[in-house]
Amino acid sequence: MFERIVAHLRAPVHIDPAFGERVMAEIATLPTPTRARPAAAWRRLAPLAALAVAASVLLLIARPASSTRKLQFVLVAPQAATVSLVGDFNDWDAARTPMRPLRADGAVWSAVVPLAPGRYHYAFLVNGSRWLPDPAAPRASDDGFGTPSSVVTVSGT
Amino acid sequence: MRVTALLLVALATRAAAQQQTDPRIARLDTAARAPIAALLDSARAAGLPPEPLIQRALEGTTKGAPPDRVVAAVRRLADDLGRARDALGASTEALELEAGAAALRAGAAPAVLAQLRRARRQPLMVPLAVLADLVASGVPVDSAAAAVLVLAGSAHDADLVEFRRAVERDIALGASPATAATGAARESILDVNSSARTGSARPRRP
Repeated sequence: MFERIVAHLRAPVHIDPAFGERVMAEIATLPTPTRARPAAAWRRLAPLAALAVAASVLLLIARPASSTRKLQFVLVAPQAATVSLVGDFNDWDAARTPMRPLRADGAVWSAVVPLAPGRYHYAFLVNGSRWLPDPAAPRASDDGFGTPSSVVTVSGT
Repeated sequence: MRVTALLLVALATRAAAQQQTDPRIARLDTAARAPIAALLDSARAAGLPPEPLIQRALEGTTKGAPPDRVVAAVRRLADDLGRARDALGASTEALELEAGAAALRAGAAPAVLAQLRRARRQPLMVPLAVLADLVASGVPVDSAAAAVLVLAGSAHDADLVEFRRAVERDIALGASPATAATGAARESILDVNSSARTGSARPRRP
C-alpha cells in the first residue's frame, strides 16, 4: 500500500504546456491593485470626558495624478451618534462632511477628503455639539475660540 | 468695439464687487461682519491672501466664539501674514505666507524665516509648517528652528515630515521635546546625507 502511494506520488505529472500562458493571460485581465500606505499605529489615548475614548489616524490613501491628495480622517468615538469633519477645506460647515462608521459597532468613524497642497485647520464635531481636536495630528495655535483645532499640511511635492 | 469695452469694464466691476462681498461673510455674527469685511479688504489691498482670514472667521463663528474674539483672531492672523511677508519677501506665495504666519505665531523669530528663505531653494510651506508643528508639540522654539534650519538646505519635504513624525513619536515614548528634536534631527541629517551619497533612502525606524 505504502509503495503504491510512493509510486503514485513519484509518477510524473503531465501539465498542459499552455497552462502557464493561460494563467498569465487571466492575471493580465485582473484590475491593478491600489497600493496604499500602511495605517499609522493606533495610539493609546486618555479618555475624553464622558463621551469617548477618541483617537484618530490621518491616512494618505491615494495620490491622483494631480497635486490634490485624498486623505482619510479617522476618529474612534464609540459613544458618538454623529461625527462631522469640519475645517478650512469645507468652510467650517458642519453639514458638508459627515463621517461614516467604519465598523458595525459604530466605534470608528471615517471620512475621505481630497485636499490640494496647503495647511488646513480642522476639528471633529461629535453629536453636533462637542468639538474634538485630532489627537494624532499637530495642534493649531490657540485662537481663543474655546476649543482647539488640529492642522494637516499637504505637501505639493 | 466701444460696446465690447464697456461690457468688459462692467464684467470686471462686477467681478471686483463679488470679490469684495464674499458671500461667506453672511455666515458671521452681525457684529463681526463689518470689521471682518474691512480686514479682508485691507488684506487684498496689501496683497495678502484673504482666504486664511475668512477661514479663521468661519472657524470662530462655527465654534460659537464671541464676535470680538473672532475679529481679534482674524486681525492677529492678518498681522502675522504681513510679518511673514516682510520676512520671506514680497513675492512669497500664499501657502508659504500662511505657514510662515503659523511659525511666527508659534514663536519663531522673523529672522528664522528669512534664514530659511536663504537656505532653501524649494518652496518653504512644509519647513515652516514643520517648525510651527514642532513648537506646538512642545519643542522649544529655538531648538525647533535650529533643527529645521539645518535640514531645510538639503532635505526634501517628505524628509521634513518624517522628521516631525519622529519627534512626535519620541515625545510620545517619553523623551523630552528638546531631546526628541535633537535626536530626530541627527537621524534625519544622516538619512539626507546617506540619500545624497547613495541615491537611495536609508531604512527608517518603524
